Amino acid sequence: MKKKLGLLMLGIALAGSLTACSSGGNSGSNGTNGGNAPGGEATETPKDDKPAEKTKITYWTGDRHDADYIKEKIAAFNETNEDNIEVEMVVKTEEYDQALDIAFVGAQAPDVFRVKENTIQTYYKKGYLEPIDAYLTEDMTTKFPRIDNFSSFEGKTYSLPNYGSTMRLVYNIDLFEKAGIAEPPKTLAEMVEAARKITEVGKADGAYGFALNFKSPGSAFGRSARVIAEMSGYGGFGYDFKTGRFDFNGFKDIIGAFKQMKDDGSMLPGSESLDIDPLRAQFAEGKIGMYLSFSSEPGVYKNQFPAKIRWAGALPPTIDGNVKGVAGFLGGQWMVMSNQSKNKEAAWKFMAFMYSDEVLKGYAEGGFGIPMVPHIAETAAKPQIEGIDGFFPTKYDGVWPLTPTVTPEGATNWDEFWRYVNEGGDFDKLAEDLNNRYNAALDKAIASGEVTAQPDPSFDPASMQGAFASE
Amino acid sequence: MNRVQRLLNGYGFILPSLVFTLVLGVYPILWALRYMFYDYKGYGTPVYVGLDNFERLMRDGLFWESVVNTFVYAGGKLVITIPLALLLAVILNRRIRGRHALRAIIFMPTIISSAVMAVVFFIVFNSYNGILNQLLLKYGLIGQAIEWLGPDYAMLTIVLIAAWGAIGNYMLLFLAGLQSIPDDIYESASLDGANPIQQFRYITVPMLGPVLQMIVMLAIINSLKGYESIMVLTEGGPFGKTNVMFLYVYRLLFPVSTGSVIEQQIGYGSAVGFASAVIVGAITVLYFYLSRKLNDIH
Repeated sequence: MKKKLGLLMLGIALAGSLTACSSGGNSGSNGTNGGNAPGGEATETPKDDKPAEKTKITYWTGDRHDADYIKEKIAAFNETNEDNIEVEMVVKTEEYDQALDIAFVGAQAPDVFRVKENTIQTYYKKGYLEPIDAYLTEDMTTKFPRIDNFSSFEGKTYSLPNYGSTMRLVYNIDLFEKAGIAEPPKTLAEMVEAARKITEVGKADGAYGFALNFKSPGSAFGRSARVIAEMSGYGGFGYDFKTGRFDFNGFKDIIGAFKQMKDDGSMLPGSESLDIDPLRAQFAEGKIGMYLSFSSEPGVYKNQFPAKIRWAGALPPTIDGNVKGVAGFLGGQWMVMSNQSKNKEAAWKFMAFMYSDEVLKGYAEGGFGIPMVPHIAETAAKPQIEGIDGFFPTKYDGVWPLTPTVTPEGATNWDEFWRYVNEGGDFDKLAEDLNNRYNAALDKAIASGEVTAQPDPSFDPASMQGAFASE
Repeated sequence: MNRVQRLLNGYGFILPSLVFTLVLGVYPILWALRYMFYDYKGYGTPVYVGLDNFERLMRDGLFWESVVNTFVYAGGKLVITIPLALLLAVILNRRIRGRHALRAIIFMPTIISSAVMAVVFFIVFNSYNGILNQLLLKYGLIGQAIEWLGPDYAMLTIVLIAAWGAIGNYMLLFLAGLQSIPDDIYESASLDGANPIQQFRYITVPMLGPVLQMIVMLAIINSLKGYESIMVLTEGGPFGKTNVMFLYVYRLLFPVSTGSVIEQQIGYGSAVGFASAVIVGAITVLYFYLSRKLNDIH
């Protein structure tokens, strides 16, 4: 506890100067069960006329795209539940993970909170999560898939999936037509060529062939180079599941293609300082030919930045046109229960409501995400959102196993790749340096017992195809 | 009021700030001092690693790059801020029309959060539709958009924004110093035929000596510690070109996940934080040594 308290204090001292980064002010105490931490937050307590003696629980999420729908459902739960439970929803879009850490250290943790495919592992290790096996009904056990290291750990279930995110090439149909390109690129060479052609015909109007949010190279490559590698049969984070080692050589052609587009002048100027939202704003205006991103884009172009152009999503290209793996279908988890919750029964009742067919179907039909629960995917009607068709799972979407978590010394592979795209150099040497650093970190993590990285010579990325759709 | 009462009163007044200083200042420092000898990810048992974190620090190119960047950032900010702030203070210390309004306007950026400021400046400086590029292009001053936040200009842009935000504050401090110089000294100098430049050189600067020394010290420390606007504007990029020491520390302690699972590096972050604090401390001491003459003149 002492060490955690220290972290809390340090966090407050450091974060104090950053509170203005967040979108809202500090709400101060609102008299409910915790939920008051620094950072941008918007609290919403749906009205309820029931008498006193309520059991109040808090739900935290970092998701903004579905906030209205979730608020509506929580209001319905608060109205209709017969146990006098009142759920307060807190939406935190800035520094969500840090706010959660601080809340847990300060024993102010939410009862239920949202986790993602790259955060649930750390929260599990930190001991924030309560196993939910004891609460699961037989019906739920059969309906919901559980994915090792993404929703269950060491045989215990901590979360259930709702929706997943597919990754796609997002392209401007108008610009493609103007440049005389018949279909979205299927190879890296076609992607480079399409970007060049679009820039040629669009530059006079300020339109460029390609862009990504390179202000954060990890975020930019994590939605592009990663999925191109995955489709081509390489682990998206440089980890080779066959050998159990990191090997970044598979990225040579992919990063080379990005460099080519940069050198050709096909990238939107200023991409290095772009966040994803300014990029989307430019795409909606018709200034970008294509980029790669997640299945959240259709919702964005419907609500956040109404698109003024015709656009669509297509499967990401591969290195040479041969699909040897699957595009990562990200997800497998949604809500978790805090092990600090003083009202676990109530927290579960809320979770059970949120995981009900009605709520999940509404979620899928609203187009907030691609359903990952088979019986919802089969029964929910298609959402009426432009562009979403291209994001539904195909034969080539699947869930990759978890890459071992390592903390290498020095710059990340994504930062190094971005430097290479801009400044050039010898990619082979770069890959060798990355391999050395990542594998040294991997060895260290294995030695300390934090990760296991067993080679799997029979691992075949193509075998993950067809898990979510046959076409 | 007896002695005990006086003491109680005194301690009563300092107690709140003392508690805050101890809890939010001293305790985290002691905590970080301990963890810099550990490998700790924020969960599990911290593992004692002796001086490993410092060995890593010595070979950590990212850290040393951030040290250089910090010097460039702080140096650039000081070179612009201090002379301009002093000049404005001298001008606005005279009985000119509208001086109060001007003081308020120049001071205003100080009360705006640097993070908010950075968001506004993004709208001005971004290269694809930023206001600055649009203006320069419109009047034919540049042929094509300049990437103000690209590898070549990002640091310059950030320094300019930081200077803009800081000038008002230091101007106010200089004004306070200037107002402590008695008017009759200027009057007699004026009678003796000293022009305004001579008055500035032989009266203002020497008599401002100790205040000047203090203000510059504050400015140095603030510049070396600043990272908020950089975090919002460039996140230390492109590829580390604007990464400063304390932003590096912040991201080791509070990393941002961008796809893969990531972990906090609390032990190493503490070591880097300690090293950064030592660097800031050493520079402050060096500055005091070099600037001791400012005190002597007075």
